[in-house]
Amino acid sequence: MKKLPIAIALCAVCASASSYAEVRINGFASIVGGKTLDDDTTLYGYDNDISFKNESVFALQLSADLQDKLSATAQIVARGENDFDAEFEWAYLTYEFTDELQLSAGKMRVPFYRYSDFLDVGYAYRWVRPPQSVYNIPFSTYEGLSLLHSSQIGDWDSTLQVIYGGYDGTIAVVSVNGDTELNDIAGINWTLSYDWFSARAAYFVADTSIAIENDTPTGVALNELEETLRNAGFVDQADNIAIDEDDGSFLALGFSIDYNNLLFDAEYTEFEVDNSALAKQTQYYTSLGYRMDEWIVHFTYENNDDKHENSRYNALPSVPPLNQGINLVLEGSKAKSNVYTIGTRYDFHPSAALKVDFSRFKDDITDTETDVVAVAVDLVF
Amino acid sequence: MKKLFLATALTVCSFSTLAEVAVIVNPANANQIDANTIKKIYLGKSKSFDDGMKVNPVNQDSNSVADEFNDKVVGKSGSQLNAYWSKLIFTGKGTPPEKLSNDQAVIDFVSSNTDGIGYIDSAKVTDNVKVVAKF
Repeated sequence: MKKLPIAIALCAVCASASSYAEVRINGFASIVGGKTLDDDTTLYGYDNDISFKNESVFALQLSADLQDKLSATAQIVARGENDFDAEFEWAYLTYEFTDELQLSAGKMRVPFYRYSDFLDVGYAYRWVRPPQSVYNIPFSTYEGLSLLHSSQIGDWDSTLQVIYGGYDGTIAVVSVNGDTELNDIAGINWTLSYDWFSARAAYFVADTSIAIENDTPTGVALNELEETLRNAGFVDQADNIAIDEDDGSFLALGFSIDYNNLLFDAEYTEFEVDNSALAKQTQYYTSLGYRMDEWIVHFTYENNDDKHENSRYNALPSVPPLNQGINLVLEGSKAKSNVYTIGTRYDFHPSAALKVDFSRFKDDITDTETDVVAVAVDLVF
Repeated sequence: MKKLFLATALTVCSFSTLAEVAVIVNPANANQIDANTIKKIYLGKSKSFDDGMKVNPVNQDSNSVADEFNDKVVGKSGSQLNAYWSKLIFTGKGTPPEKLSNDQAVIDFVSSNTDGIGYIDSAKVTDNVKVVAKF
């Protein structure tokens, strides 16, 4: 089922290539080298040995304008972290009803965040990577529909997008490889912008199921507790641990300013899967930048806070050992951290930028700090 | 010889910074087009003229006329425009205007396409095109 939209888009692209439609090829690439600054630390996929592979990306996009307002687009992305195995990350057909309204169907990016749609296109933003405390949802694409309405309200540009679809794959939550199914992903995403100012709000819901594998100590502990609860007849308590057909919701608010070479960005996000072992996540970042012709310098502060509501604790007071087990699992899913990043971007070529970012990640629970430095060359062609 | 080259280079430089950019359309195009509309067309925000005709804009390929136009009319540097368009291209939200190599190519395009719009050095304007604005 997952392959179908890709196949359709591909056929469309191939068919058009051999006939009359115009096929455009665009691409982007990022070569990123980075490392952590201390022994035995890891962050953003780096350790103390320099890696040029971890965050590097190559991508090609083929788009074909078929006749009668129909177009087909496919984006093939090769990531260093996957040994540069090329994968279709986007493959969709678009029908333009009017200048203002278009419908796309196929495999696309879930527009969780302001920079979601062009997350891989490093050239489009100032950091080496967008603030990871916020940009941390472990999957990014879906298969389904996207309705896009762009209009002008006085001097303001409005972009309203409604999506519907599903996701089926494996993602790393608690365990490393958890079979995940997100059904009925539905969401709305609205951006209003006026010359130098832009504001955005997004809200998504999904019916969420994530299988926890026994491939991490936390995964093992969680599965054992769930099984014990279920075998002892505490079905509700077991269901409140498992991530099985639970309501997931995601909210994002953000704005950005680009005024007289002064740049300011902020995003706030909340992510929750009801009645599950996953803690409610609250994240934000604020970022200030200043542009001097081809140079940008920037400073970013990020914050992440994951915890369960107090009412979730002491769910089984009648059986103290199990009650304690539940409390431990809830407590174990807590996270609290912040990141400071300073960096610079230099547009040394009309289609290429050089970036250097230094980030200090602080885990407030373990009270440890990790520093990462990364250098990137981003290009579009 | 060296001096001559320098003098020529200087003339070209000073000429290019002082050059006036003319925005041109097909003589058959009767729409009123102001600076704001031109900016919107070149940012992909306006896709049709007032009379409903689809707009078919062309850019020049990173030469001094393009720099002048981007700076004066669109208000963005070449790099900023590249970043702006990359956000639209790779998300299926827009396609940047095609790039032609020089003033003459733009004149040829606009004079042979009723829906065409382009910009050239105003000293190069011919009778085959209509000037709607100068910057």
